[in-house]
Amino acid sequence: MPTALIDGRELQFGEDERLNGIEAARRLGIEIPHYCWHPGLSVVGSCRMCLVEVGMRDPKTGQITMLPRLAPACNTPVRDGVVLVTDSEKVQRARAMVEEDLLLRHPIDCPICDKAGECRLQDYHFQYGQDQRRADIRPFTSRRRDVGDEITLFVDRCIMCSRCVRFCREISGTSELLVVHRGTHEEIDVLPQFPLKNKLSGNVVDLCPVGALCDKDFLYRQRVWYLKSHPGVCTGCAMGCSTWIDENQDRVWRIRPRENHLVNRWWICNDGRYDYPHVHSDQRLLCPRQRVGGRWIDRDWSGLVPELDERFRRAGRVGVVLSPFLTVEEAYLLATYARRVDPEAAVILGHLPVVGQDERFPGGFTIAAEKCPNRRGVEAIVARWMGRAAAWDVFLNELPSLGIRGLWVTGGYKRPWIEASVAERLAGLELLVVQDLFASPLSERADYVLPAAAFPERDGSYVNRHDHLQSVRWAIRPPRGVRPEGSVFWELLGRPGLYDAQKTLSDVAAEIGYFHVAAGPIPEVGVNLKVNLLA
Amino acid sequence: MKHEASASGEGGAAAAEPVLTPTMVAGIQAYFSRYPNRRAVILPAFHVVNEHLGFVPRQAVIEIAQLLELPPAEVYDTLSFYGLFKQDRPQGRVRVWVCRSISCAARGGEEILDYLCHRLGIRPGETTADGRVSLDYAECLGACDFAPAMLANDVLWKDLTKDKIDAFLETLAEEGESSPDAT
Amino acid sequence: MPEYEPVLLANLGKEGIETLEGYEAHGGYRTLRRVLKEHSPAEVAAMVRASGLRGRGGAGFLTGLKWSFLPENHPGPRYLCVNADESEPGTFSNRVLMEGDPHQVIEGTILSCYATRSSTAYIYLRYEYPLSFRRLQAAIDECYAAGLLGKNILGHDFSLDMYIHRGAAAYVCGEETGLIESLEGKRAWPRIKPPFPAVEGLFRKPTVVNNVETLACVKHILDRGVDWFRSIGVPPKPNDPRDPGSLGPKLYCVSGHVNRPGCYEGPLGLPCREVIERFGGGVWKNRKAKAAVPGGLSTGLLAAEELDTPLDFDGPVRAGCLGLGTAGVIVFDETYSMIDFLHNSCRFFAHESCGQCTPCREGTHWALSMVERIKAGRGRLKDLDLLLEIADSIGITPGTTICGLADGAAWPIKTAIGKFRAEFEDFIRRTNPQGYMATEPVPALVENAAQAPASGPRSSKGKSESFAANS
Repeated sequence: MPTALIDGRELQFGEDERLNGIEAARRLGIEIPHYCWHPGLSVVGSCRMCLVEVGMRDPKTGQITMLPRLAPACNTPVRDGVVLVTDSEKVQRARAMVEEDLLLRHPIDCPICDKAGECRLQDYHFQYGQDQRRADIRPFTSRRRDVGDEITLFVDRCIMCSRCVRFCREISGTSELLVVHRGTHEEIDVLPQFPLKNKLSGNVVDLCPVGALCDKDFLYRQRVWYLKSHPGVCTGCAMGCSTWIDENQDRVWRIRPRENHLVNRWWICNDGRYDYPHVHSDQRLLCPRQRVGGRWIDRDWSGLVPELDERFRRAGRVGVVLSPFLTVEEAYLLATYARRVDPEAAVILGHLPVVGQDERFPGGFTIAAEKCPNRRGVEAIVARWMGRAAAWDVFLNELPSLGIRGLWVTGGYKRPWIEASVAERLAGLELLVVQDLFASPLSERADYVLPAAAFPERDGSYVNRHDHLQSVRWAIRPPRGVRPEGSVFWELLGRPGLYDAQKTLSDVAAEIGYFHVAAGPIPEVGVNLKVNLLA
Repeated sequence: MKHEASASGEGGAAAAEPVLTPTMVAGIQAYFSRYPNRRAVILPAFHVVNEHLGFVPRQAVIEIAQLLELPPAEVYDTLSFYGLFKQDRPQGRVRVWVCRSISCAARGGEEILDYLCHRLGIRPGETTADGRVSLDYAECLGACDFAPAMLANDVLWKDLTKDKIDAFLETLAEEGESSPDAT
Repeated sequence: MPEYEPVLLANLGKEGIETLEGYEAHGGYRTLRRVLKEHSPAEVAAMVRASGLRGRGGAGFLTGLKWSFLPENHPGPRYLCVNADESEPGTFSNRVLMEGDPHQVIEGTILSCYATRSSTAYIYLRYEYPLSFRRLQAAIDECYAAGLLGKNILGHDFSLDMYIHRGAAAYVCGEETGLIESLEGKRAWPRIKPPFPAVEGLFRKPTVVNNVETLACVKHILDRGVDWFRSIGVPPKPNDPRDPGSLGPKLYCVSGHVNRPGCYEGPLGLPCREVIERFGGGVWKNRKAKAAVPGGLSTGLLAAEELDTPLDFDGPVRAGCLGLGTAGVIVFDETYSMIDFLHNSCRFFAHESCGQCTPCREGTHWALSMVERIKAGRGRLKDLDLLLEIADSIGITPGTTICGLADGAAWPIKTAIGKFRAEFEDFIRRTNPQGYMATEPVPALVENAAQAPASGPRSSKGKSESFAANS
C-alpha cells in the first residue's frame, strides 16, 4: 500500500486515492492551517498558510531527501514515498509571517465582527502567530458594502483568499463576485447591475474564513460561542441536505450546511439556509384545541391522548394522512396505531408541495422541485400497509366511498397548503384531528387541532429522493404546549417511557424491506437504502 | 451606519445608452478568429474601446461581456487589474506617461514629472480641465537608453530636460497633438 | 578578449531592414528556408538543446530543456508565446530588437514554432512599445503575404499563425503564467506549478513561453551552427556535469549614470565593469560608480568593489545578487542615495505585485511603507532588520510565493541594506535623532504608502468610515 511519512508518522492510503498534503495530514489528526484551499473548489495555493516542507523517501534505502523550499500542502500530491514536515521551525516561521502579513492591514474589528469565535484569522493567530505587533499601522475599522440581498461585505476584513469568487464561478455558476484592482488595493466587489443574486449565495459566508462576507440574516444577532450546533437535515426539499442547526436556549439562530459527501457535499441553498423563521413565528399553533359546539377551547396534553384514542376507536373506520414532513418513525408509529384501531384503516401519503422545476447548478448541486423532505420514507410506510402508493389527491376523490368516520391529518407544512374548498370536503367527518404548525382552512374545520413540532424539534429519520436515509435528534425543545408527533404517537400506541426514535427505526427496518439496512446505528452521513441493499 | 455604494460604480438599474459603435463591435469581432475562445478577446476589446472612447466605461464592460458571452463580473475583474484603462472619464487627447522607474529617476525623472505637474497644473492620474492632456506615471517604459523619458500617446520623448518639456508643451499648444518631430 | 562580431544587433541601422524586402536583402529568412527543407522539428529542437541556449528573459532556464517538457503525443494545438512584455526596469533589449530588426524576431519565432510544433504564436507585447507594435505588425502582415506565415509555409507541411496581443501595463504579465492568464483574458495572477505550461499552459494546452532575445538567438544557432554558439561566452565547468555554462551572445543594456546609455552586444560573461566602461562610456560627469544593478532592478545591487563580477548566469549570484536577470546594467554614481534607490524599488514592486499571494501582496506594501517612513525622517534602526526579514521571507527561493516577482522585490532590499547598511543607519540617525532607537511600532504616515490605482482615486486604507450605532 502506498505510504507517506508525515511528521515522522506513517500514513497508508489507497492506490486510487488522490490526496493532497492537507487531506493526508488530517488523517493523522494533523491540521495544516489554510485559508484559500477548499475541497469543493479549484486549488489556487495563494494564501500560503499551508506551506510545509516536502521531501521524498527512497523506497530502497529509506533515506529522506527534503526539498530546500517550502511548498503549499494544498497543491502537493501525496504519493508513495512523499515526506511532509508540518511542524519544523522553518514551517512555523513561514506561518507566523503569513499570519502577520494578513493582520498588517486588517481592521481592528473583532469586538464588532460576526466571525469572532469561529474566525480562522483569530484562531491561527493564537496558534501560529507572532507574539508581538511589529508593524506600523493606524488602527481602523472596516468599510461595509452590500453585495446582494442576503450578503453584506466588510471590505477591509477580506484576506483575498478568493474562495467566494471561485464559488460563484464554479459552483453557483453565476459569477457575480469579482476582484477589483491589483496588489494591496484588491477588494471583493460586484457590478451594481449584477449583485450577488443566486440561490446558493449564502454559502459564501460559510466559505469566508474571516468576517468579511456576512449573512445579513445573522448579522449582529448572536455571538457564536453562545450557540450549540446540532446535526440536522434540511426539510426544505427532497434533497435532504445535511445541516448544522445553531441554537441558543431553544431558539434557532442560524442554519449552516454540514459536510456530507453522499448528499450535499458542502453546500446548502438559501431556501434551506433561511428556513427557520417559521419555527419561532408567533403564528404557530401553540396548544391543543378542541372545537366544542362551534367554540374553540384550549386543552392541555394531560389526558388528551387517551381521549383521542378512545374517540378514534369509537369512530371505527379511520384513516391517517401522513405528511411528507413526518419522520419515518413518526409515520410508522401513527400508521401502526391506525391499523391497530382499524385493520383496514386508510394510510395515505399527505399533500406533496411542488414548486416549479428542479434547479441544477454547474457545481452539481440541485434544488428539488418537491418541497418536502420525506416523501420516499413516508411513501414506503404507506405502501407497507396499503400495498400501493396512496396519494392525497386520489384519497380526496375516493373519500366519499370509503366510509371513513375518523381521520387524523398530520401536517408540519410551513406554508399554506390547503384551500378552503378542499378542506370543505373533509368537513363532514365525525372526527377530524389536524396536527399542524399553522392554522389552515382544514384546522378550522377540525374537531381537534394539535400543534405540530417544527423540524428542529423532532427526532427521527428522513429519506431523500435518492433513497438516502439520515437520522437526527432534536436540536431545540418545542414551545411549551407543543408535543412532538413522535411523543404523541408513542403514547397513542401505549408504549412505555419516552419516544425512542432509534428503537422505532429498528422496528421499521425489521418490518419493512425498504428500510432493511437501517437496522443498526445510523452514521452521521446517513445510509443509502438502495445502494446498501442486500440481494 | 455609513454604507458604501459598490466600489465598481454607482448603483442604478436603468438601461444605459449603448456605447459600442458598430465599428467598435466589428473591431472586437475581428479578434475572434485569433483565439480558441472569446474570453481571450477581453484585453483586445478593451484596447479597441479605449482607442475609440479614450476610456472603458462601465457600460462598455457590460456590452463587451454580452458580445463575448461572458459574465460581466469576469470582464470587469480583468479590466480593473490593469491601471492602464481609465474608467470614469476619457483620457485627454494626449496621454502623457512619465517614467518613474529607477533608471529615469536616477537621471532626474522625478523632477521632470514634478515640473510637468507644475506646468500643467494637474497631478498624476488627472486630466487638464480642457481635456487636452492626461498625466500618468509609468513604470519603466523600456526607454532607459533615453532616460528620463516619457510617452505622449504613441511618441517617445527622450532625454527630457525642463527645456524639452517646455518645447513639448508648446507643440501641444500649437497643434493640439504631440509631434513626432519634436524629439 | 577576442573581437566579438555582433549578430543580434548586426542589422540595426541598415536601410529598410524592418521591411521584408530589406531583411531578405541582407540574408533574412534564408535560415528558415533551409531549415524547413533540411531538418525535422525534432532535429531543430535537438540543435537548440545542444547549443546550451539559456533563456534571456531573466530565469536563464535551458531553452532546449524547456522545450523537451512538451508532451510527445499530445493532439495539440500547441502554443508558443513570445514574451515581449519586457518591463524589468533597466531593460530595453527586446525593444531595440523589435524596433530595429523585427523580422529577425519573427524568423526566430517561426523556427522555434517549427521545432516545438506550435500552431499559433502569440506575441505578448507590452503596451508601452507602440513603435515595436507598428513594426512587428507590419512585418507579420508582410510575412503572411509572402507565405512565410499562415498555411503551409513555403510549401511545407507546417502552418503557423502569429498574432500580437497587446498588454496593458502590468509587470507581472512578464511572468510566464501571468502572461498566459493575461492572454486568456483574466487578471494576471500567475498559476501555481505544477502543472507547468509545457504540459498545461495557454488555454490548458502545451505551451512554451520564450523571451524575444532567446528566439532571436535560435535563428542564429540554426544559421551559424551549434559549435559557433558554444564558442561564445563561458563554457561549462569541466568538473561539473550539471553546469550548462553561459553560452552565446548577450544584449547588455546600460543605463543610469553613464555617458552612453544604450543596448550593446557581447559574449556572455563580460565583467560588469567592462560593460560599464567599454559600452557605457564610463560613469558620467567624471564620477565614480557607487553601485550597479547587474541584470535589471530585481537582481539587486553590486557594490563598487564587486563590479568585476562577470555577467554570466553565475557571477552575480556569487556576488549576492538574484542572478544575471536581463543583463540590464544600471549604474549609480557616488552622489546617489541608496535610500532613494530602495524607495524606488520598493515602490515599483508594491505597485506591480499582482496581489494574489499573501507574502508578496502584504510584504511589498509593508516594505514600501517602512521605507517611506524612513525617508520621511521617522525611521528606526530596527526597520532595517525588519526589512531584511521581510526580504528573506518572500519569494520562490524560500518557497513562500507563487512566482518570482517577490524574489525581485526582495533582492534589492537585501543587497541595498546588506551592502550599504552604514549609509542607511547614518541616514536614519541623522533624520530621526529622537526616535531611531525605538523598538515599539511607529504609527504609519497618514497618506497611504502605495499608489492609488491609476484608473482613478479610490478610497483606500487609512480612510475609515465610522459605524453609527444603528445599522
